[in-house]
Amino acid sequence: MKLLLVEDEQSLRESILAYFSAEGNICEVACDYHAAMEKINLYSYDCILLDLSLPGGEGMEILRALKKMNKNDGVLIISARHSLDDKVDGLNLGADDYLVKPFHLSELQARVTAIVRRKSFDGNNTIVFNEISIDTQAMKINVNANLLNLTKKEFDLLVYFIANQRKVVTKNAIAEHLWGDEIDLSDDFDFIYTHIKNLRKKLIEAGCKDYIKSMYGVGYKFESI
Amino acid sequence: MKLASQYNRVNLFVSLIVLLLTGVIYYVVIHFILTEKLDRDLSIEEEEIRAYVGTYHKLPLPGDFQDQKVAYRPVKKEDTSGRNFSNCVYLNEKEQEEEPGRSLLTYIMVNKQLFEVTVVKSRLEAEGLVKLIFLITLGIIAFLLLILFLINRFLLNSLWRPFYGILDQMKAFNLADKNEINAEFSKIDEFTELNQAVLSMSQRVKQDYKELKSFTDNASHEMMTPLAVINSKLDTLIQTAGFSDQQGELIEDIYLAVGRLSRLSHSLLLLAKIENNLIKNEELIDLKELLNQKARQFQELLQSNEISISLNLEAKAVSMSKYLADILLNNLMSNAIRHNLKSGHIDVLLSADQLIFSNTGIATALDDTRTFERFNKTASSEGMGLGLAISRQICNLYSFKLSYQYENEKHSFIISF
Repeated sequence: MKLLLVEDEQSLRESILAYFSAEGNICEVACDYHAAMEKINLYSYDCILLDLSLPGGEGMEILRALKKMNKNDGVLIISARHSLDDKVDGLNLGADDYLVKPFHLSELQARVTAIVRRKSFDGNNTIVFNEISIDTQAMKINVNANLLNLTKKEFDLLVYFIANQRKVVTKNAIAEHLWGDEIDLSDDFDFIYTHIKNLRKKLIEAGCKDYIKSMYGVGYKFESI
Repeated sequence: MKLASQYNRVNLFVSLIVLLLTGVIYYVVIHFILTEKLDRDLSIEEEEIRAYVGTYHKLPLPGDFQDQKVAYRPVKKEDTSGRNFSNCVYLNEKEQEEEPGRSLLTYIMVNKQLFEVTVVKSRLEAEGLVKLIFLITLGIIAFLLLILFLINRFLLNSLWRPFYGILDQMKAFNLADKNEINAEFSKIDEFTELNQAVLSMSQRVKQDYKELKSFTDNASHEMMTPLAVINSKLDTLIQTAGFSDQQGELIEDIYLAVGRLSRLSHSLLLLAKIENNLIKNEELIDLKELLNQKARQFQELLQSNEISISLNLEAKAVSMSKYLADILLNNLMSNAIRHNLKSGHIDVLLSADQLIFSNTGIATALDDTRTFERFNKTASSEGMGLGLAISRQICNLYSFKLSYQYENEKHSFIISF
């Protein structure tokens, strides 16, 4: 996919760039308002990652410009402002999602993937990973053409893993993704272990290879062997 | 005791003493003056008698006229005691009454015979005058006291009104409120000065508070970007292969610390926002449904801690922000789980006027006064100690009352609508 990253913080820009480029995506960057306006005037993107507070102007203005140009680019707002009004304003102006800083790169990847999937394959909501095929609309999973029964959490977990395939995903990123950031219950994320264990078991029973690997206590990695 | 009544008391007391003293002095002085006058009259009478004796060499007739009596008595030289004035009783024969009188006792030689002469005058008129003066003085005292009392009562009250006005405003003064203290108009310099002092103080305090709040806001805000950088760098770091288990643990610890720090910033921002009343979007929230939803949401956590939950919910809707309702219930639910025992129990009770979360936990009651303070937490708690402060702030915003109770070994948090 072709992405545009509008972010003024250099270190953050580099990390995001590195994370997305590794997957063979084309990722362009704009570090201020004017650079971003120039880019969106010239090109189209599958998804624009947009910071709201930029040198030279407001991110919201870029959203308005996009809307005026009738462009169909997906927009994901990444902002330090955890404000409901900003969120509502952004979504009303045509943004597809809103992610509050700080975030996990895996969460960012999952959100971008979801946006791009919704935008680019109109009507086609299927994710395919080797023998696994997922219909995100109907929430159905087929492994080798056999229906696989997963709970809601296991389903979300699988979609999340596939969006972040070949990447190490941390336990708290998974917990936050599945339960929302409200659940800051404990620093002990062992309770997600049960879900991962069940998912792995169900996938293997359905005839998949063991794609989920535990990585040095930090998290998990989903990759085809 | 009020300043006015204290002042009144002293004022009236002193006035009374001074007026009484004045009355006494008046009485004594006037009495003295009148007696002097009487004595002079008596001396004139004596001289007239002497002049008569000098001319005619006989005594005038003993007379009884104009409240005055003259009497003679022959005495031997040895019995005389000298000329003197004295008070005595005067018999008014017209009215057959005894009246106070003043007499002059003197001696006169007529044809070698010594006579004792007694001249008596009625003092009635003089006494009457003294009495009248005394009564007038008393009347003035009473009148003056009454006037003083009325002045104190009504004038002072109205004079002090601006003071009480500003006092009431100071009592009602609340930093978090938007309303300012208004100047009470007064012609009195002291009160005008007080007004100005209070006004400028409240403005200064508000300004400081505002700066402090915006500092918290900005500080929390500015923390987000570096936190985002740390988080993303960590995410990038773990993609590079070849970590040992020990390194993995270290990285996990860093993740946890970053996670806590970002939650802390979010919580502080949220608190500031609630305090500034920046969260609007009120809507009717079906609490029963929301609680059921929370129970589902927390299901895995309850299971992993082997905590059982029982919901006893009546239909109840409140008008509040959905966002804050979520946070409030999340906080209370998280608390009930976090501070629970292994295989403990949570009761959630919703009625028309109350929502109660009660859970099993440590066997001692929490300190009621400090429970809702910021950053107040037990040593074993993994939280930040902001959850209950936020919950209370949310409840305050919608005029609910959040309280804590410990009963039958259960900790209860009660929201009264």
